[in-house]
Amino acid sequence: MTSTDVVLEVRDLAKFYPVRRGIVLKRHVGEVKAVDGVSLSLRRGKTLGLVGESGSGKSTLAKVLVGIEKPTRGQILVDGEDVSNLGRAERRELRRHIQMVFQDPYTSLNPRMSVGEIVGEAYAIHPDAVPAGGKAKAVRELLDRVGLNPDHIHRYPHQFSGGQRQRIGIARALAVRPKILLCDEPVSALDVSIQGQVINLLEELQDDLGLSYLFIAHDLSIVRHIADEVAVMYLGRLVESGTDAEVYEVPSHPYTRALMSAVPVPDPSLRDQRREIVLEGDMPSPVDPPQGCHFHTRCWLAPLMESRVDPAGSQSRSIPTICRTESPKLGALESPDHLAACHFADDVSAH
Amino acid sequence: MTTDPTRDGTPVPLLQVDDLAIEFATPDGVVRAVDGLSYSVSAGRTLAIVGESGSGKSVSSLAVMGLLQQPPARIVRGSIRFGGTELLSLGQKAHRAVCGENIAMVFQDALAALNPVHTVGWQLTEALRARHGMSRRDATARAVELLDLVKVPNAKQRVKEYPHQFSGGMRQRVMIAMALSMDPEVLIADEPTTALDVTVQAQIMRLLSEIQAERQMGLILITHDMGVVANVADDVTVMYAGRAVEQASVFDIYAAPAHPYTRALLGSIPRLDQKGGGLAVIPGRPPDPTQVPAGCAFHPRCAFAEDVCRADPPPPTVSLPFDRTSACHFAEEVMNHDEH
Repeated sequence: MTSTDVVLEVRDLAKFYPVRRGIVLKRHVGEVKAVDGVSLSLRRGKTLGLVGESGSGKSTLAKVLVGIEKPTRGQILVDGEDVSNLGRAERRELRRHIQMVFQDPYTSLNPRMSVGEIVGEAYAIHPDAVPAGGKAKAVRELLDRVGLNPDHIHRYPHQFSGGQRQRIGIARALAVRPKILLCDEPVSALDVSIQGQVINLLEELQDDLGLSYLFIAHDLSIVRHIADEVAVMYLGRLVESGTDAEVYEVPSHPYTRALMSAVPVPDPSLRDQRREIVLEGDMPSPVDPPQGCHFHTRCWLAPLMESRVDPAGSQSRSIPTICRTESPKLGALESPDHLAACHFADDVSAH
Repeated sequence: MTTDPTRDGTPVPLLQVDDLAIEFATPDGVVRAVDGLSYSVSAGRTLAIVGESGSGKSVSSLAVMGLLQQPPARIVRGSIRFGGTELLSLGQKAHRAVCGENIAMVFQDALAALNPVHTVGWQLTEALRARHGMSRRDATARAVELLDLVKVPNAKQRVKEYPHQFSGGMRQRVMIAMALSMDPEVLIADEPTTALDVTVQAQIMRLLSEIQAERQMGLILITHDMGVVANVADDVTVMYAGRAVEQASVFDIYAAPAHPYTRALLGSIPRLDQKGGGLAVIPGRPPDPTQVPAGCAFHPRCAFAEDVCRADPPPPTVSLPFDRTSACHFAEEVMNHDEH
């Protein structure tokens, strides 16, 4: 991977939110480590799927990347240039390159603005992005581009269906000709028969415009479909990343394995053949994450490893000391690009 | 009441809906939300009702529960029978009383369905105290049992807590516990896992299946997720624009869908075990209920549509082998159609 291939790189990014108590003094009593040391790279013209459950930090990561939140530490490089500590004007310029498509097309469009105003609003903020031919023409072209009727430019969001609204959201994001689109659960609020249409539109746009996508979703099947590379997050940390084939065919972190096995396969004849790993409990609170490996409290593999690490130990479901005390590093597996953060990564696929 | 489903070999349906039609009065005119829906569910069986928003799947179960606000809703015709009792001729109050004892419902949004100002224990036992005049002490003991049943850890402590202190998955367990408090024979679960994470969804579906098997409840699962359906359902009813367009056993419907909508729906879901090219897509969108297309409601989106589909509504049930039905002029052709 040469560096020019990479359009967006994130190095050791962290975002902590302070937890305060009291009304006047607001004592600082701790922090929520929403994102804690994440490194990623997004290649030009490709799609990186970011997978995780609620509380994993994937949406916070997106907010930091588009500049809604400032990172607590770490670097963000767009085309090799560090953009994590820019001034106001430069940040505005940066936003031209990274645009966001939001999850809920019902709340992310201003109901009092017409479609033309919504899509064209970006030009008021970035006057230099208005293409030759003027704003009105550009907006009509954008609507056409995303499969909406350009004559509907004066209509309001409530006159459109969910799928059409999401197209409006995409047109708005494309207005300033960004290099990167952050898509935060762009289809999860849509009906099944509409999801495919929006996914296909995103893929077409990527091919035509050379866009790079960071595609955030909890639906692993959709990520499998659209992503070239996949990163899995758990409690603010990356637990596995690699190409789509590597992560889906040889999942090497126990959490990834559990996540995959929990996805129901739409084929009743496979009902009894699939072995499902059902995780116990919920994701722990990010205010007080477990010591050592964040996943050890729910891990299905750790108890199996205990007998091997410590054969003299008890037969109860105890966890190896290393999992409880040492945070595993993301390490390379067979291929240098396939990384997993597990002390027993090599044993995951064997079980 | 107990039912023995296997005494004479054929299961006795617990709940039977026949030719149900429901209309809503709206400012844009009368909307027919459900049109000629029939289904039945027996003890220990799971019926999945599949459809997109506006297909009528939730409205029909509200009618079963006697929870439809009338007006604006109006039940135009049809019958809903539980055991031998016709619920629709009972009047809403008596209807709800029968449901309260025998049919329970789990709603999608557990946070909205729980009262934020009462403890979870109080809500769990509201029905027991109201209906059975149970004392507070007995009710609390029962609440702890119910939470244990749905595997909420540390139940003794947690009955005293409020809904906001529970995670999404735990709240859904509370909803299920509440539904089980009256020992229902039929449980209707309306999108019970839609708002939940994948791993939590798996926990809840497993819990529902276990409880159902143990108590031999009839389960009606309302969902849009064909993956969940494949894993838990025995029978499937697919709804589109207020009608049941296809009804079959889960194995038949996935092996050879006999309605173009079912076929398209199954074709358009991305799969974890397959990496494909472009996603197969159903063009257009579900019809606006105030302007349902003439002829077959699905024809503008249908790959099989011909002139007759635009002109005439299809017969509501074309009977096919293996006890299955499809509301399509070309049901048999669609079923035997091989894409490969």
